[in-house]
Amino acid sequence: MKNNRRRWSSLSEFLEEIQNYNQIAGIAEIARRYFAMNAFDGVLTTIGVLAGNYLAGVRDLSIPIRIGIATSIAMGISGLWGAYLTETAERQRELTALEKISLIDQSETSIGRASRFAVIVVSIVDGLAPALAAIIVLIPLFLDNIIQNPILSYGLAGITALLSLFGLGLFLGKVSEKNLIGYGIKTMMAGLLAIAINFLIGAE
Amino acid sequence: MGNLRRIVLDVLKPLEPNIVDLVRKISTLNGVDGVNITIYEIDHHVENAKITVEGEQLSFQSITAVIEENGGAVHSIDEVAAGQRTVEEVETHQD
Repeated sequence: MKNNRRRWSSLSEFLEEIQNYNQIAGIAEIARRYFAMNAFDGVLTTIGVLAGNYLAGVRDLSIPIRIGIATSIAMGISGLWGAYLTETAERQRELTALEKISLIDQSETSIGRASRFAVIVVSIVDGLAPALAAIIVLIPLFLDNIIQNPILSYGLAGITALLSLFGLGLFLGKVSEKNLIGYGIKTMMAGLLAIAINFLIGAE
Repeated sequence: MGNLRRIVLDVLKPLEPNIVDLVRKISTLNGVDGVNITIYEIDHHVENAKITVEGEQLSFQSITAVIEENGGAVHSIDEVAAGQRTVEEVETHQD
């Protein structure tokens, strides 16, 4: 049943269609999971970049900024590509299983469209989450002209990273509808551990 | 051609979209007065549904299009009624 006409003529119809896709393909849930997982990766990787540069004695902040941006781009592309390929494979498998049972081509049904839409949304979330998280952590380095103290900028970036992790923990706590602060502390602990190990290994 | 008043279909459909969404979509079709969907078997990915549609002027094509658009497959047409009034199935001695 090929039908490629536009299926909505107003914003409300479009939103209704999106809601329908979300219900069919469980997009919000998986996007939420990818967002938390990859933003977490983004923050911790940037902590590594910052700690490495700080311990190597780099005080010209344009260097960690360039490395940070390059890393965030790489993480973004990695997330986008990885999620696109894995989600496409997984969802195609599910669709094929459904086609075998129902004996009809599901590719042009609302299920097939929801499946393709889910792949796009999840890939974008997976790509943007680590990149944005990394850029947020780098903000104090961008403000070097105002701060005018590289060591303070490193410190503020570290605090931003820990606060981002804490915020991510609060988000996970809200998702689980359980202990918000507990989740915040758990995620922040990962950042503290990364910093501590870097300093232990890197200390001269 | 006489107007269809009742169609009863045996449909195999995926669990999502669920029957609440499906019944609403069918009910908005032109000529449809009412719809009933009853699930009589549930499997891991799919469920079997009996879909009863009644109205003054039903379009069989439109109804099956909505079902197929939502991933369902019509297995059989179990009952139909057409004409100026709906004629119920009559019990005979053989039944």
